[in-house]
Amino acid sequence: MIDVLLATDVVLAAGSGGDDSPVWLLLLGPAGAVGVYWMLFRFYRNTDKSHGFERETLVEAEPVTGEDRLIDKIRGTTERWVRGRNERDYRERVDRLE
Amino acid sequence: MTNEPQPPTGPGSPADVPPAPGEFPIDPATLPEPIRDELLAAEPPVIDTSATELRDGINRCPRCGSTDVRLRPASGMLVCLYCRNEWSSARVEEELGLGEGLKDLKGTIIATGAADIDAAAASMRTFKCGGCGAEVVVDTAHAMTARCHWCRHVLGVNEQIPNGAVPDAVLPFRVTKDDAVERIRQFVGKRRLFALARFKREFTPENVLGVYLPYMVVDANARAEMVGVGEIETARYSRGRDNNKRTYYDADVYAVARSVSFTADDVQLESSAERANLDTRVNTNNIINTILPFDTKNAVRWNASYLVGFTSEKRDQDVEGLHPVLEHQLLSIARAQAEPSVRAYDRGVRWERERLELHGSRWVSMYLPVWLYSYFEPRRGGGLLHYIAVNGRTGETMGSVPVQQWKLVLAALAVGTVLEGVAIGILAVTA
Repeated sequence: MIDVLLATDVVLAAGSGGDDSPVWLLLLGPAGAVGVYWMLFRFYRNTDKSHGFERETLVEAEPVTGEDRLIDKIRGTTERWVRGRNERDYRERVDRLE
Repeated sequence: MTNEPQPPTGPGSPADVPPAPGEFPIDPATLPEPIRDELLAAEPPVIDTSATELRDGINRCPRCGSTDVRLRPASGMLVCLYCRNEWSSARVEEELGLGEGLKDLKGTIIATGAADIDAAAASMRTFKCGGCGAEVVVDTAHAMTARCHWCRHVLGVNEQIPNGAVPDAVLPFRVTKDDAVERIRQFVGKRRLFALARFKREFTPENVLGVYLPYMVVDANARAEMVGVGEIETARYSRGRDNNKRTYYDADVYAVARSVSFTADDVQLESSAERANLDTRVNTNNIINTILPFDTKNAVRWNASYLVGFTSEKRDQDVEGLHPVLEHQLLSIARAQAEPSVRAYDRGVRWERERLELHGSRWVSMYLPVWLYSYFEPRRGGGLLHYIAVNGRTGETMGSVPVQQWKLVLAALAVGTVLEGVAIGILAVTA
């Protein structure tokens, strides 16, 4: 259901951009259909499931240490998030530090 | 006069007698110090889990001496089918001290049952029956026990042979077959409407199989570092008018670095290459992966009697081959540990580089219990094997139910049509 609601949100957000644009609402049908298909498919096939080892492994960690250094200031960007945001994509591997 | 090259002679040449296995042909004292140190270094530490007392293949009841022994899932203990005596092998956690000293782990410690697989090791083993002296053959590729066809003694493979068939420990089934059948029935019961008609017709959960699957259970002591860029929003404003109105952001950009030292207890890795392949386009192994973790703290010393009445799969992966998988999981764990420390970056963080220092790891091979129901869905260009799996200890159930595509498409179109009707209605009212 979340998929459908998200799809609906996207469409409604697009549709509320101005007085002349509610025609974007016509995307509601196709977006809803795709959302329902994926929701049902995943419920039956569970292709998105795997062992959540990040949460379920018994880990004893020392306090996280590190540093934060101001290197720049951005003015007037239209991007909502830092480009390539991945702090929650734990399984996405990046280049190795040498 | 011919000038043919002469074959080399002297120490190390093909003419020389090869050294005996384990012997070095040159006196190490004559070699440079770094090479000498490497040669004379102690062998890597191992945890010996071989059960010499069971090497003759006979597991006798300690009370009456019968070999008709099997697992009783309700109690998780071995039961003698003659005198009903119940007992259990020792828990490896205490016996081998697996839960201790994680912070002091150095180097790679491998238990004897997790040693490298020798490709030449035969899977057929011959035992001399302790009851009558007959020779009984056990094909370890398919079974770990056999009954002597003369005197009915049960023989089990307890000797650690280097073909990956005998692990260090086994975690006995606790969920009974009836319980597993009920869980599978409930799981499918919630997914009937759009399930493949043929699957529903042929659904017989009583055909579920108890399988011991091979895993490496790893303790690790590591430190991870990561560096990247994080942004904190300092202002948000809109520019433009009406249709051209856009939101703009100002932000401070930081170079972010984090490091964390940690120990991970009982990381569970599939040690069968086929099971470790989690590509959901070609298989449904992710289902079996999802029912992890197992309570491996309760695993007991290997005894083939635990496998009577169940099937098992052989390990075909060595420690070296599984190192990249372990490193990936440890790095993921480190990233998850670091995540709360970067929440101040409300525009997010982009990690760009990371490093793992694996100080030490301890590897133990185990057979872990899974109730497995499978269904083969024929398709053009092959087919797909769907699994419904129940964790033989916790009862956690996960499955892949084949879908009837046309029903799914029809449902999606129906919902889409209703939503489209609503959208058209709104447009008509606002026009």
